Amino acid sequence: MQTYAQTDILEAVRKVIGDQKPEACYQCMKCTSGCPAAKVSDYRPHLMVILTKAGLAEEVMQSGIIWACSMCLKCKEYCPQDVAPFDVVTALKNVAISRGYKPPEMLVGMANSVLDYGYIMDKPMTITTTEFEEVSRESLGLPDIAHPKDIEKFKKFVSSFGYRRLS
Amino acid sequence: MYIFLGCTTPMKQYAYELSIRAVFPRLGIEIVDMPDSNCCGTPLMGVNRFYNVYAPARLMAIAEAGGLDIVAPCNGCHLALSEAAFMLREKKNLLEQVNALLKEEGLKYSGKVKVYHPVEVLYGLVGVEKISSAISYKLPPLKFACHPGCHLVRPSHIGRPEKRNGKLKLEALTEAIGLQTSDHPEKYECCGAAMIPYSTDAAIKTVAMRIKKFVEGGFDGVTTLCPYCFDMIDGKQDAAKTITGDRSLSIPTFYYTQLLGLAMGINERELGLNLNMSPVGSVLEKLRR
Repeated sequence: MQTYAQTDILEAVRKVIGDQKPEACYQCMKCTSGCPAAKVSDYRPHLMVILTKAGLAEEVMQSGIIWACSMCLKCKEYCPQDVAPFDVVTALKNVAISRGYKPPEMLVGMANSVLDYGYIMDKPMTITTTEFEEVSRESLGLPDIAHPKDIEKFKKFVSSFGYRRLS
Repeated sequence: MYIFLGCTTPMKQYAYELSIRAVFPRLGIEIVDMPDSNCCGTPLMGVNRFYNVYAPARLMAIAEAGGLDIVAPCNGCHLALSEAAFMLREKKNLLEQVNALLKEEGLKYSGKVKVYHPVEVLYGLVGVEKISSAISYKLPPLKFACHPGCHLVRPSHIGRPEKRNGKLKLEALTEAIGLQTSDHPEKYECCGAAMIPYSTDAAIKTVAMRIKKFVEGGFDGVTTLCPYCFDMIDGKQDAAKTITGDRSLSIPTFYYTQLLGLAMGINERELGLNLNMSPVGSVLEKLRR
């Protein structure tokens, strides 16, 4: 496969809300050295940034590795150049979704649940106590969860800015 | 004030909710369940970044209409709400965009609502002194590791409840009820929860490293005020043992509000102390009066 620099991805990344400044990165790798996801996966924030900067983020989006970020925000906090690698990657995720790349299966369920219930989970879980007794919100005497009062309207509002059902 | 519970706490972390509901009113903090609520957007930042501004703004507008401030017990929700407030103060066009949407529901965001995390309510509004006098007995000086969780500390430029240097508010609160705290090398590290959708294996390996340090540090227990961190540290110890093969990965884990409630003499079931998944039994034995 031949790879071409795609500056449109860089442009799209810049447009997403956030503090991302991929162009300021000088590859010191401080982000990667402290990254929890880098310790347990192939994720390397400095590579995400340089590939975005160079217009080569298509494969990165395709590979799905962007979804390994643990959202700890250390890279954003400590970057000497205020690149905010976290925001670069978050923007890449947004671009990936808008271009039809699939996020992890579990995230698809979470995102779609928001359209149906207003939350990333559909209903409260039944859990087991240390005495092996099954308990629920109801049995614990906890009140019902407040969902958006008109879910159809809520769905309409969030759809208006491009929040779509994922498959 | 309104309590906005988010997703994890009311869907499965009942011990956190129970212990807040038990402790707060007894300390003079009246909590009202927030109506008409939605997901704060933090877990969905990557799916739609604007949702993560609109969703918390909607929550704050609902609170504004009700005339109450918000307490958000989840670190992720607290981040979403405070970051949105920061952005909407800085970026006029974003504010206009959000308010145009909110207007259709008769809502308006104007930035009046204050957003608190329980650590701020307890440390700032109630205060260490009042807590020391509100407890019915001092817990024994067992050594506890306080785990604030990433989003209580970062990103610091928007102002976060905890700072990275010096003593944590959570540590001062823990000491106020008689327990001992001590520094530990991974105090500001990540629990790995947000990695779960990508890879459960990676997430468990991450929390296993945290648990290992708690064990090596000779701590009697861990305490936190984040439902995601708690879910990982308390709930994933068996998985951590299985994945790493390290049988030593075991540490009693409590919500701070459970420990506080215990010291206030509140019934253990009311604090959800039978819901912790980590082996709390022997430590609980020592903590009882």
